[in-house]
Amino acid sequence: MTPERMAELVARWVRVYTWNLPPPTAQRRIDEIDADLHDHIAHERAHGTKDRRIALSIAARMLRGLAADVSWRGRTSKTAYRPAVRIALATALILLLPLVAMQITDEVDWGLADFVSAGALLGGAGLLLHRLAAGKAGNLAYGAVATAIGVAAIVFGEADDAPGLMLFGGLLIVGTVALAVRTAQRSE
Amino acid sequence: MPRRKPGTLLPLETEILGVALSMRRSGEATFHGFGLAQLMREQSGSRSLTGHGTLYKALGRLEEFGLLTSRWEDAAAAEGRPRRRLYELTGQGAGLAEQALAGKADKAIGPSSRVASEPT
Repeated sequence: MTPERMAELVARWVRVYTWNLPPPTAQRRIDEIDADLHDHIAHERAHGTKDRRIALSIAARMLRGLAADVSWRGRTSKTAYRPAVRIALATALILLLPLVAMQITDEVDWGLADFVSAGALLGGAGLLLHRLAAGKAGNLAYGAVATAIGVAAIVFGEADDAPGLMLFGGLLIVGTVALAVRTAQRSE
Repeated sequence: MPRRKPGTLLPLETEILGVALSMRRSGEATFHGFGLAQLMREQSGSRSLTGHGTLYKALGRLEEFGLLTSRWEDAAAAEGRPRRRLYELTGQGAGLAEQALAGKADKAIGPSSRVASEPT
C-alpha cells in the first residue's frame, strides 16, 4: 500500500462526508485535506520514513478523525439530519473498516460485489429500522421484512461460514424486536 | 473529544492557540494544517499526529470564535503542490493564548479557557 493510495482513500472519504454540503464549504475541506495529505507524504519522505509507515500514519489520522468528521458534517449541513443521509453516512463509515483493513492485511479481501451487497444490506436494514422506529403500532410489515432479512443473513452466514453476516442478522433481529416492543409500549 | 461547556475552549483548541502563538513569536505569522499538526506532535512529545477531522474541526471552531483568520495561499507560492489554507492568530486569539500560557505556567488555570462570545 503506497501513501498515495491511502491518500486517495482519505480523499474519497472526504468527498463522502462533504457530499451535498454547500459547494464552498465542501470544496474548502476537500482542498485543505488534499494539501495536508501532500504535505504529510512529502514531510515523511524527506525524513526517510518508509512508505508503508507513512500509509499507516495517514490511515490512523483518518480513523482518529472519523467521529469529528461526522460531527462537523452534522453541524455544517442543513440536511445532515435527514435520515437517508445519516443512514448513508453510517453505511459508508462501516464499509470503510473492511476497506482500510484490506490495505493493512491480506486476510481481508473484499471485491466490489462484497461492498455493494454489504452496502445494500446495511443501508436497507438502516432504512427499515428507521421506518420501524418512526412507525405506529400495527405497522408490522417493516418489522416482518427486517426480521426476514435478519433470518436470511443468519442462514446464509452459517452456510458460507461468515460470522460477520450472522452477527449482522442477529443484531438486526434484536433491533427489530426492541423497536417493535418500544412502539407497542408507546401506543398503550 | 471532551464535551464543550458553553463559552469555553477545548484543550485541543487551547493547544492550537499556544502553538500558533509560539510560531508567531518565532516570526512565522501564518501556519497551515499539517505544519500545525507536526508542531503539536513535537511539542507534546506524542508519536501520532492529530486526526484530520479533529484538527480541521477545531481550526474551524477557532475561526468561528474570531480567534483565527484564514486565507488560501497564493497559487504562485504553492509551486505546483496543492494550495494550503493559511491560518493566523487574531488579536483576540493572541490575547487568549497569552492568558492560557500564563495560566499554564502558574498552574492556576482550569482545563478550559473562557471565550468572549459563543458563535451562533
